[in-house]
Amino acid sequence: MNSAFKKMMCRFLAVALITLPFQTGQASMISTDQVSSAATVQANRSLVLNHLNRAQTVNEFQALGLDAQQARDRVAAMTDEEVGNLAGQINAVPAGGDGLVALILVVFFIWYFAFRR
Amino acid sequence: MARGRRRTRALVSPRWSVWQQGARLVAGALLLLAGLGGCASLVPQTMALREAWPAGVALSSENTAVPFFPQQDYQCGPAALATVLVAGGVELSPDDLVKSVYLPARQGSLQVEMLAAPRRYGRVSYPLAPRFDALLQEVAAGNPVVVLQDNGVGPLVNWHYAVVVGFDYPAGELYLRSGETRRLAVPFTVFEYTWKRGGYWAMVALPPERIPVSADAAGYLAAVAAMERVAAPEAALLAYATALRRWPDNATASIGLANRQYAQGALAAAEATLRQALAQHPDAVPVLNNLAQVLSDLGRNDEALALLDRALGAQASPAAGPFVAAVRETRALVLQRMGRSR
Repeated sequence: MNSAFKKMMCRFLAVALITLPFQTGQASMISTDQVSSAATVQANRSLVLNHLNRAQTVNEFQALGLDAQQARDRVAAMTDEEVGNLAGQINAVPAGGDGLVALILVVFFIWYFAFRR
Repeated sequence: MARGRRRTRALVSPRWSVWQQGARLVAGALLLLAGLGGCASLVPQTMALREAWPAGVALSSENTAVPFFPQQDYQCGPAALATVLVAGGVELSPDDLVKSVYLPARQGSLQVEMLAAPRRYGRVSYPLAPRFDALLQEVAAGNPVVVLQDNGVGPLVNWHYAVVVGFDYPAGELYLRSGETRRLAVPFTVFEYTWKRGGYWAMVALPPERIPVSADAAGYLAAVAAMERVAAPEAALLAYATALRRWPDNATASIGLANRQYAQGALAAAEATLRQALAQHPDAVPVLNNLAQVLSDLGRNDEALALLDRALGAQASPAAGPFVAAVRETRALVLQRMGRSR
């Protein structure tokens, strides 16, 4: 009996945690960000995830040689989606840097005499 | 016994394995032939251009007014970004951008930061569709385009940013501000070969009163919302107003414009914008909610309450889902202002 009650309580709490929205405490305008990203699932849990992603990316930037303020500023200019895609991938994504024209020349000559368009 | 033999034969019969090897050889040879002979698979988009040149795009075009900043060290990212930003009227030098796009440990710049940095200067960064036609449309319209190239050969990878400023299809060339070369002429084929490995990545960063010609409404408004996070409010206001002129029936553009007007305290203007949107989208819950908030701030709580009840009535539609909580909050606020509890 007691155990059945506990089980029921647990189920109730689990469902409540999942379904009850976080209170933002701000009755106001629905933001443009919310409207334009409403098509891609805008769940409340993404708020939490987003904070974690941003913190992680700031740390990763610092590990790559930026000072704390710069790292925060740079992450602040990204959207939630951009940060979500970058977090944990910072060393895997391309970083454009070099402009070695020598290498392009190799390809260039191969193709130049073949065809151009 | 018989069963065992059959199984053995099926697994390691010499005839079978010879046939299998032969099949592999044939497949390999075919693949090699396809790779060597079928240039279509190496530069598919250039091949497609031979069949159909994008409609409405001139065969040659060049914006010679785009400035040039020779790159220093590994800093082609700051140089390319400065090129498009200065072309769009921002006053800066590549050095000003090093702190916002250059990553010392990677000796380069990330694509996401190339998109993020222009927002601080009130410019809308818009990633283009990964196609030649989008690139050519923008360049033909005079918009310089930042592209990510891989100038490596074979297994070598050599990521590089350059700016496409023009092209001449009859001559088969694109013109780039690249590295230390002011006007690098690259054949379409070579360009696609280098552009392909980065997933045909390209972006423009334009002033808010200038929408990329190849932009779609949803993508562009998301780009403006991204700029709004960090840019001066006037830039976002101008961008939404311009977007609303280009896509007059877009509810997101109306909401964006009205939100900026509301933030400025221009309540009457916000009301007019939202009323116009409501006439086109009578069931749009965010429009109803925000208009109610504006009216309530103007002291017209009765009208506001009617709109909120209408929004809650419209919530049966699936699109209303994410905003129901916001509508209930606004309703509670309006009731509180009216001195009522229900």
